[in-house]
Amino acid sequence: MQFWAVIVDSFRESLDRKIFWVLIALSCLIALVMLSVGFTGDKISFFFGLWETETEFYSPVTQMGPTRLVGAVVYFFLAALLGWIGIVLIIIATAGMFPEMMRLGAIDVVLSKPISRARLFLYKYISGMVFVAVQGAFFVVLTFLVMGLRWGVWRPGYLLSVPLLVLLFSYIFCVSVYVGVKTRSTVAAILLSIGAWALFAVVHQAPQVFETFPSLKEHAAVYHTIRVISWIPPKTGDFDYLAARAAGVGTSLDVVPMPGTGEGGAMTELDRQQLAAARDVEERQLLKDPVASIGSSLLFEAVVVLMAMWSFVRRDY
Amino acid sequence: MEGLTEMTNWAVDLIDVRKTYGRTVEALRGVNIQVGRGEIFGLLGPNGAGKSTLVKIMMTVVRPTHALGTLLGRPLGHRGKLERTGYLPENHRFPHYLTGAQVLDYYGALGKVPRTRRRAKAKELLDRVWLTQWADTKVDKYSKGMLQRLGIAQALMNDPELIVLDEPTDGLDPVGRRDVRELLIELKNMGATVFLNSHMLSELEMVCDRVAILVQGLVARQGRLAQLTERAIEYRITAAKDLADAHSKLAVLGASVDGRTVRLAGDELGKVNEAIDILRERGIPIESVEPQRFSLEDILVEAMGDGAVAPAPIARPAKG
Ligand SMILES: Nc1ncnc2c1ncn2[C@@H]1O[C@H](COP(=O)(O)OP(=O)(O)OP(=O)(O)O)[C@@H](O)[C@H]1O
Ligand SMILES: [Mg+2]
Repeated sequence: MQFWAVIVDSFRESLDRKIFWVLIALSCLIALVMLSVGFTGDKISFFFGLWETETEFYSPVTQMGPTRLVGAVVYFFLAALLGWIGIVLIIIATAGMFPEMMRLGAIDVVLSKPISRARLFLYKYISGMVFVAVQGAFFVVLTFLVMGLRWGVWRPGYLLSVPLLVLLFSYIFCVSVYVGVKTRSTVAAILLSIGAWALFAVVHQAPQVFETFPSLKEHAAVYHTIRVISWIPPKTGDFDYLAARAAGVGTSLDVVPMPGTGEGGAMTELDRQQLAAARDVEERQLLKDPVASIGSSLLFEAVVVLMAMWSFVRRDY
Repeated sequence: MEGLTEMTNWAVDLIDVRKTYGRTVEALRGVNIQVGRGEIFGLLGPNGAGKSTLVKIMMTVVRPTHALGTLLGRPLGHRGKLERTGYLPENHRFPHYLTGAQVLDYYGALGKVPRTRRRAKAKELLDRVWLTQWADTKVDKYSKGMLQRLGIAQALMNDPELIVLDEPTDGLDPVGRRDVRELLIELKNMGATVFLNSHMLSELEMVCDRVAILVQGLVARQGRLAQLTERAIEYRITAAKDLADAHSKLAVLGASVDGRTVRLAGDELGKVNEAIDILRERGIPIESVEPQRFSLEDILVEAMGDGAVAPAPIARPAKG
């Protein structure tokens, strides 16, 4: 009962935020754009049939077409829009949850209730996920239905993006909560958590830089240190690949036509080499063990959450 | 060691409560307070005396540096007893996105009041504090008085045995204050214990059975209101004729003479009788002898004037 009370309260808090409705509107807009695209045979039409052209690449009646279509949605809408801009907006919207609850005069009543501080903290933390879960589910289910009903492409694996989005968000949210509990400042929580996200991405990418430039690999000690360090922060950068893998769509290079630099857009030998190298990097990401990626990230999250909880439980109000 | 039965007799029994904020701010320096069941108890004191800190320790909002004692017969912080307690903090603020009815429902649920009971109780309480028409309006539209009334309603959602109110009449107009007083008496008549902080002295005088005066983190006075105010601050003897004859003799006693009135500061009956003797020796008829009693305000001012207040002994006032 107390759990539901906290969840419902947080949901009401979400509904009160403009960002909540902005995101819903954005999801609807994306779904509408997707809805306006249709296929007849090997023809693709835009703006509800206003403009039509031939396509072999995306046509759902070909063997690879459906996968490429889902892939385009995963990489360009889900990962790039929701996985970045959406998450930033949700971080902004949820950063105030703890500072708001901990305001003098507000926290007093809550703490006087027959509920332990640790439990209260955890309930509130979990309810922070409600925002992203609702938004993620709305976007994913909506686009899933558009793909199925409009294009005839049903990809149940795509639905796994919802829990993946919640996970991605939680990796950053834990930092936001930690800062929020420590400083009781929403602004600090927003800035530092987004800063931490950038840092995670940099640290996570560092070993790849070494791998792309073989000459750097000679500094073996440095390389290994960086690899070990890169294992510590949450793997926010893996989201695209985890979602792509769940939906079974291959690398981002497979989902758009790649024109070559040769005459009439033909592939030159150099193009082919570069493409192969880039694809190789992405494929290695796709082959990463999801359990290791998620597990190590959750470990980091657990440590940060415990530190935040400790601070929340021990302080005076 | 007290027997368990005796411990449970008090609604609130605080023993040697200390709180130091950080390293240096000694907000409470060993507070002992006992509140009997079914009484209205007033905690009085100047700003910064530590009243809110004490109440927050009772309600587990602040962690004491040291504290013994019980709430409703169980150690401080006992969940089951918090479930039976209602609390209105000072300067409370409710989530602005909730309506009045939602506030009551939310805090009721946190207080483990079952859903159907919450519905009925919220309706009843909103009606009791005249907020029925505002039930579905967000609280950021409420006036200060309405918020205060909603806060009190919130504290009553779980039909508490003990109600702890920190400045309940803060921000209320005289009519609102009278309503709160009536509500408190109503609660008392229903068997609840009320513990309230206030610096509105006249208010306490009107409703409290017992009071404690907190000064600089220590209890300077504690007792039944009647008992505390029973001491005289001065005696006034009014004679039937002019007192010129007795002037010098009375001055030796330390009395001040003004026309036909003799004023003796303090509460010493011996001196009063000596003064009467002086007057009678001179054949001056006495019209009246009147003690001037302490008001709560006088007591507070006196307690604050004591400066270094000694820690009150762990004496247990007779319960009555
Ligand atoms: N969270 C805190 N951190 C540090 N010092 C505090 C804190 N809360 C209160 N104090 C200090 O403790 C002392 C007692 O404060 P408290 O609020 O208990 O007094 P009060 O009697 O309720 O005063 P008022 O009548 O103004 O409400 C004050 O000196 C105050 O500055
Ligand atoms: Mg106070």
